[in-house]
Amino acid sequence: MSVKPSIDPPASSGDGDVRKPFVGPEDLGSFDASKSLGEPGAFPYARGPHRTMYTSRLWTMRQFAGFGSAEDTNERFKYLLANGQHGLSTAFDLPTLMGRDSDDPLALGEVGRCGVAVASLADMRRLFDGIDLGSVSTSMTINAPAAILLAFYIAVAEEQGVASDKLRGTLQNDILKEFHAQNEYVFPPGPSVQLVVDTIEYCTKHLPQWNTVSVSGYHIREAGANAAEELAFTLADGMAYVQHSIDRGLDVDAFAPRLSFFFDVHNDFFEEIAKLRAARRIWAHTMRDRFGAKNERSWLLRMHCQTAGVTLTEQQPMNNVVRVAYQAMAGVLGGTQSLHTNSMDETLALPSEQAAKLALRTQQVLACETNVTQTVDPLAGSYFVEKMTNEIEAKAYAIIDQIDAMGGVLQAVDRGFFRRRIAESAHATQRSIDAGDTEIVGVNAFVDEEASGGVDILQITQQTEDMQTARLKELKATREKARHATSLDRLRQDAEDGANVMPALIEAAKAGATVGEMMETMKSVFGSYDGGPEW
Amino acid sequence: MVTAAPEKSNKQEPSGAPNASRILLAKIGLDGHDRGVKVLARSFRDAGIEVIYTGLWQTCEATMFAALQEDVDVIGVSLLSAAHMTVMPELLRLREELGLTHVPLVLGGIVPKADYPKLIDMGIAAVFNPGSSVDNIITTISELTKKRRLIVATDDVVQRFADGDARALAQVITAIQCDAPIEGWSPPKGSANVVGITGAPGVGKSSFIGKLGATLRSRGRRVAVVAIDPSSPITGGALLGDRLRMMRGTPDDAFFIRSLSTAGTSGGLAPHCADVVRAMSGFGFDDILVETVGAGQADVLVAKLVDRTLLLLMPESGDSIQFSKAGIMEIADGFVLNKCDLPGADATEAQLRGALSDDRTVWKVSAVRDLGIDAVADWVAAS
Ligand SMILES: Nc1nc2c(ncn2[C@@H]2O[C@H](COP(=O)(O)OP(=O)(O)OP(=O)(O)O)[C@@H](O)[C@H]2O)c(=O)[nH]1
Ligand SMILES: [Mg+2]
Repeated sequence: MSVKPSIDPPASSGDGDVRKPFVGPEDLGSFDASKSLGEPGAFPYARGPHRTMYTSRLWTMRQFAGFGSAEDTNERFKYLLANGQHGLSTAFDLPTLMGRDSDDPLALGEVGRCGVAVASLADMRRLFDGIDLGSVSTSMTINAPAAILLAFYIAVAEEQGVASDKLRGTLQNDILKEFHAQNEYVFPPGPSVQLVVDTIEYCTKHLPQWNTVSVSGYHIREAGANAAEELAFTLADGMAYVQHSIDRGLDVDAFAPRLSFFFDVHNDFFEEIAKLRAARRIWAHTMRDRFGAKNERSWLLRMHCQTAGVTLTEQQPMNNVVRVAYQAMAGVLGGTQSLHTNSMDETLALPSEQAAKLALRTQQVLACETNVTQTVDPLAGSYFVEKMTNEIEAKAYAIIDQIDAMGGVLQAVDRGFFRRRIAESAHATQRSIDAGDTEIVGVNAFVDEEASGGVDILQITQQTEDMQTARLKELKATREKARHATSLDRLRQDAEDGANVMPALIEAAKAGATVGEMMETMKSVFGSYDGGPEW
Repeated sequence: MVTAAPEKSNKQEPSGAPNASRILLAKIGLDGHDRGVKVLARSFRDAGIEVIYTGLWQTCEATMFAALQEDVDVIGVSLLSAAHMTVMPELLRLREELGLTHVPLVLGGIVPKADYPKLIDMGIAAVFNPGSSVDNIITTISELTKKRRLIVATDDVVQRFADGDARALAQVITAIQCDAPIEGWSPPKGSANVVGITGAPGVGKSSFIGKLGATLRSRGRRVAVVAIDPSSPITGGALLGDRLRMMRGTPDDAFFIRSLSTAGTSGGLAPHCADVVRAMSGFGFDDILVETVGAGQADVLVAKLVDRTLLLLMPESGDSIQFSKAGIMEIADGFVLNKCDLPGADATEAQLRGALSDDRTVWKVSAVRDLGIDAVADWVAAS
């Protein structure tokens, strides 16, 4: 093992700012704690969305995982419910995420791999078989076809005799970050956002307890954005959903309380804490002052956090456990409402059972043993943390202004603004690592020759694909042809007319239409999008 | 002949090298993680390499067809979906079938250590993981391109060209580009209909050409595209990204796309562009569509090369005014108002018609929604 004679502390943070070794009151200028921070649980919520935070209720430890078939996942759900858990978290496989049926040629080798395959109402029925949808809360990580999966869920509930206003859960449903970063889009940006607004409008009327969009910075950061960009892009996306919903004629206070956020927690400990605090402050001001929201619940930003997958290294994989622990603590000191900690082997493959358990234990140690939970927002008033919070807030506002000047998020997407910024930041980070300016233990510092390959990797068996294909064949042969065709015609017509497509989707779901068929029908009206080559 | 004379490439000054090595970077399947591949693409460009990126969601077949048409020195595949043990053998099979065994295939992605030897044994030239340093990757790739350049291409290129082998056309284009034409041979005279497509950056030229080409193909016409992107003035490398918007659907020998860089020249065209078009015409294409870099006034040059020119505009871009200053308005034979799915199309159309003193055609189209393309195809085909 090569050990450097001494460790030089890094002189700058990731985005090139040089950090001052000493920070004092003079760095805070006209800082007024009562205005900038307020009380915990009060405007502008810098100190947290709730008055008592973790002293009365811990964050939710939400570990997200996927299993091959609907039956496997259903079994797992029942096990979790029997053990006292009330929230179900659903991960879908890649074909479902892309709005393609399991028998689509591009789905080859992907069916049921990283999540459950749901191609029709029958699959959704199997997924929730024997589970009372009136008494659980279900979160679904799905974007481009989110409206369709929601339609399936509503239809299953109806079959169970559960009224839609009893349904509780969350859709990720954040299509904008797909255009910036994760690339799981199907339709062009404009119609995609209108589809999100359709779900917001429908839920506001019929599923008042449903969290409609989880506006996500996680994927933006993972794709290479720096902290300020993650913050700004995510909040700008949130503002776009709000603006488009208002343009649809919705009352801001009717839908805004059901928006939530999802951030990444990266390596730069204090910067991440500052980012989460600044996020709440910017959102509170924006909702109140820009969109005129009157309801306090509209001002308040609730968030889920996940540790940064991109920081995990294949070299010396055990080191990842330590990274995850520090990141988790940053999330908690930043005041998150729920947290996912990554498994140390996620760069290699899907997490093994042992690694997944260790990831959960990391949160439990943090919650039970470190006592960081016993004081609300313990860092408030630190010269350094408040300065950083102010700085990242200012940077984010500057980027948001830039986006507004382009005419808004959709126009900025069209110009490749987000992709270009992200690609530039990713490239800069890589150069800095290659030059040794950014040190990563095990990669370009303290390199250990034979340190890789020490973990067991979960091997995935490939068996759901045939079953899914057979089921789709059967469905297509047995469903009522006329009703199926009529329902898709209606969907096409509603899409053409610019009507809310949710009722048509629910009807098509009941008529046995598949995810792929509904997506194709909408594509014929909305068009499809093949992304940008922006580097 | 076709083997871009290795000692010549050594003599090249760093900028404007018309025979920079070319790498195809591809993502295959539904996995959308493209941070790694994009970081690499930039680094390759900065190292003086021409990068052809084919975007997301490609099939194995489309990737190999692209490698053939682009006549690349190396094929790089990025896979983060853990599907490498299914995808790589399929690519190797296709590589053999298309006669491209001399082009090294490399893989980057999440690959368990145990699979490395298996992949190397089956014929993959190199495997990189997310922790590989960019410098190492560039060194390896450069070595591989050198090796490839030393392999003398088969000498039956002239015969294969005559037989209609698209690979021969691809190699002839490389030879023309490298200023190393095949001695004593020139392509037969063709009668293709050559149309230049110009317009400001991002107006949708590539997307439009993709749809126009597909429409012409569906009428049984043989279509070739020359897609030009700028090279880096400092390193001579380039990111060639037009192709990814054009290659949706099943690959097809009679839809031939070639990406070229400006290789340090100004004017929005690639060096020897006229010879490339001549070779394509001689190969037997009916329509040749030439996309310029969208540099504005310099694109006037394109008009000299082609039979007719289409100028692309988009709603509310203000570009029409810009272009009228630049003189391209006079040269264009027709105007295509793209992105008419966006607001403001009618206003821009009115503004444009107001600026024209004659009856040149203005088409309203949407490339992403495939609207209005047929009418332009009629015009192109009716030469
Ligand atoms: N809304 C809409 N967007 C389009 C349309 N055509 C292209 N675009 C988008 O416009 C952007 C640029 O498209 P390209 O086809 O790459 O444009 P280009 O003119 O070839 O760009 P350069 O080669 O970089 O100059 C992409 O994001 C396309 O998806 C259209 O008809 N409507
Ligand atoms: Mg282009």
